[in-house]
Amino acid sequence: MEVNEQTLRSAARPGSKDASAGRALRRRRLLSAWLFMLPLLAVNVLVILGPSVATVYYSFTEWSGIGPAEWVGLQNYTDILSDGDFWSALSHNLLWTVIFLTVPIGMGLGGAFMLSQITRFQMIFRVLFFIPYVMASVVNAAIWQNILDPDRGIGSTLALLGIPWLEGVSFFGSQALALPAVAFVDNWHWWGFVVLLFLTALQSVDKELYEAAKMDGAGRWQQFVNVTIPGIRATLVFVVLMTIIGSLLVFDYIYIITQGGPAGASEVVGTLMYKEAFARFEAGYAAALGLGMSFLSGLIVMIFIYLRRKGWEV
Amino acid sequence: MPFERMLMMQRPLSRRQFIVRGGKAALGAGIAGSVLAGCGGGSSAGGPVTMWSNLEPGDPQDFFKQNIEPGFEKANQGTKLDVTFQPPAEIDRLVRTALQGGEGPDIIPTPGPAYAAEYVDANLFAELDEYVNQYSWDDKLLGWALDLGRSDDKLYTIPYQLQTMILYFNSTLFEEMGLQPPKSRDELEGLAEELNGQGIVPFAAGIGDEPAAVEWFPTVFWNHFSGPQALYEALTGETPFSDAVFVDAIELFNDYVQRGWFGGSREKFFSNGFDALHADFGDGKAAMNIEGSWFMASAVDFFGQGAGNENDWDWAPLPPMQSGVPQEMYALGIGSTISVNARSANTDGAASFIDYLVADKKRAAEYMAAVPSAFNAPLPFEEGDFPGSMDERVRRQLVSLSQATGNGNFGYTNWTFWPSKSTVYIQEEIQKVLTGDMTAAEYCEGLAGVFTEERKEGLVPKIIEPGA
Repeated sequence: MEVNEQTLRSAARPGSKDASAGRALRRRRLLSAWLFMLPLLAVNVLVILGPSVATVYYSFTEWSGIGPAEWVGLQNYTDILSDGDFWSALSHNLLWTVIFLTVPIGMGLGGAFMLSQITRFQMIFRVLFFIPYVMASVVNAAIWQNILDPDRGIGSTLALLGIPWLEGVSFFGSQALALPAVAFVDNWHWWGFVVLLFLTALQSVDKELYEAAKMDGAGRWQQFVNVTIPGIRATLVFVVLMTIIGSLLVFDYIYIITQGGPAGASEVVGTLMYKEAFARFEAGYAAALGLGMSFLSGLIVMIFIYLRRKGWEV
Repeated sequence: MPFERMLMMQRPLSRRQFIVRGGKAALGAGIAGSVLAGCGGGSSAGGPVTMWSNLEPGDPQDFFKQNIEPGFEKANQGTKLDVTFQPPAEIDRLVRTALQGGEGPDIIPTPGPAYAAEYVDANLFAELDEYVNQYSWDDKLLGWALDLGRSDDKLYTIPYQLQTMILYFNSTLFEEMGLQPPKSRDELEGLAEELNGQGIVPFAAGIGDEPAAVEWFPTVFWNHFSGPQALYEALTGETPFSDAVFVDAIELFNDYVQRGWFGGSREKFFSNGFDALHADFGDGKAAMNIEGSWFMASAVDFFGQGAGNENDWDWAPLPPMQSGVPQEMYALGIGSTISVNARSANTDGAASFIDYLVADKKRAAEYMAAVPSAFNAPLPFEEGDFPGSMDERVRRQLVSLSQATGNGNFGYTNWTFWPSKSTVYIQEEIQKVLTGDMTAAEYCEGLAGVFTEERKEGLVPKIIEPGA
């Protein structure tokens, strides 16, 4: 290795007799690197770049998913702008984002902070919190569909115990409740993971900072705001970023539980896109919808990068 | 109701499973091609025949593997049938992807004639006309069913899994309460009010598991309120779907939902799953169930000691809800169609299997007796055609359907006769009528627009006139 470095340094000097040997070595190294990367690049081109380029192309066409595609230019994009279903679905994505930026993050922070204060049984709680996250979404959904069933679920059970206020409430069949109810189920599976992320971050916060804060007379809340939050800022930003992007692309729980119903009350762009592609056979339009959402996600990432470069601690 | 939707239980296929299965199918097709190429190619029977099936796990798949597959291979020495059971809820998407990629098995199912039309337009299905004479399908199969499989007078698909919408009732409950199945709209509404007043849900209903199943109800109300003649005129372009006769039918359905007759309340109608609603029906918490003939296959799971009750079920034709609508009339439905891949290397073998599965009355009757509704062939059955082991109610339904259609007393299910975009419109937008976000008139106006466009594109299958 050392010899090679010397050779390279020699090669860097113009006119050196080792220059050509150095260049050859550099080429060989470059070639080796590309050969190692080639299989991965090929896979990427095949499964990511290829479909991505195809999606861009099809977004400018009218295509049913079979047969030839007809070039329609920007028609799909202009149609999206005047599509009431799209704007309704996007508004549900935004509502979903607000819910997930507040509820699970709040619960995660609180849970992690409380968990960090105990030493006994912490592992048990960590496992318990993590179990919903590793369960299949269809299983989680089925569990909660049964629990929230208006006739056989928790509402009717509570009614038998003399607490009738949830009796007959159809959480997934009500236009007002469907989206929050599905968000609740998704949150149930997600928040435990957030707890563990924050807990890991909390454990890296210097304990002396807490001691110093205590000596300065800071209470628990002040410690949390002035020591904990700054100490886990990087994790917090990561979770916020993932939450926003995840909320824009949300699909599974909504599709499994309500399929966007009733009457579009829980429709998000992901489920709308699926329906366009595989129910209405408007694959070109669905491609445009997908690209639109990718653009939005990319925009958010760019904003974060921009803010970081401007010196914001995000 | 396409078979994948009537099977009620969605089992998503992972990308990995899809790749593995697609790979197997491609490998199968590749092997088939190689073998045939080695034998001189062509489309002669004798090589393997690959097939994707939408049959549900359990009895239908078991029966197929234990009886149909070995039976066919025995009857066609040297021809191996390689069937892959695909998730019913996903099979159309898988077929679409495979065909677009130039793959797919020799024998391909679709959800119905209206869906098959797109594949025919894209030249993805083989013409089957030469086999019509070879196997005498014109003489064996029901004429209207064969016509449904034709496009520009050429045969591309064989309709299969015949079905219709009927009124199931909890016969034990009816007997205890001294009730009779309704024979008119007045009787139906009187019955519903009486049951509702006694705390019994008149109709077990819900679309929580499968929102697209809401299409059963526009189909029922258009057929039994608007009538088959009005539907015929609309489907042939003489009358728009915005006509008052269709609007009134939707308003009537909406009225019943708002009264809580379907599922107990509008919200429960939206959220009830199939198991829950069928359990209510079996337990007598709900008295009736408007559903397709496919429910006969699973009724045993919800009635009797096995289901934890002492109840039994029966069925009756849906009553006419307006004068002029025939008393005993059945909306015709096709659960799936069967076609041969245009790229098949063994079209002869594929056609011979279709003939084996569909066209032999004795054999088909045995299948239909063994597993109700999964193998309903488009054949002109009579009472004596079915084995004695067949459930009397299933036999009665099949004979009634055959006789009524023979007499021209038939209607049209939307999943069979409406093109795909119109079908999706019917499924998606009707929910907005039920929630009050759209009026029945707006709904029908929208359908008229979508349907007219698809009709212009030639996507409406051949419509047979009722009474013809």
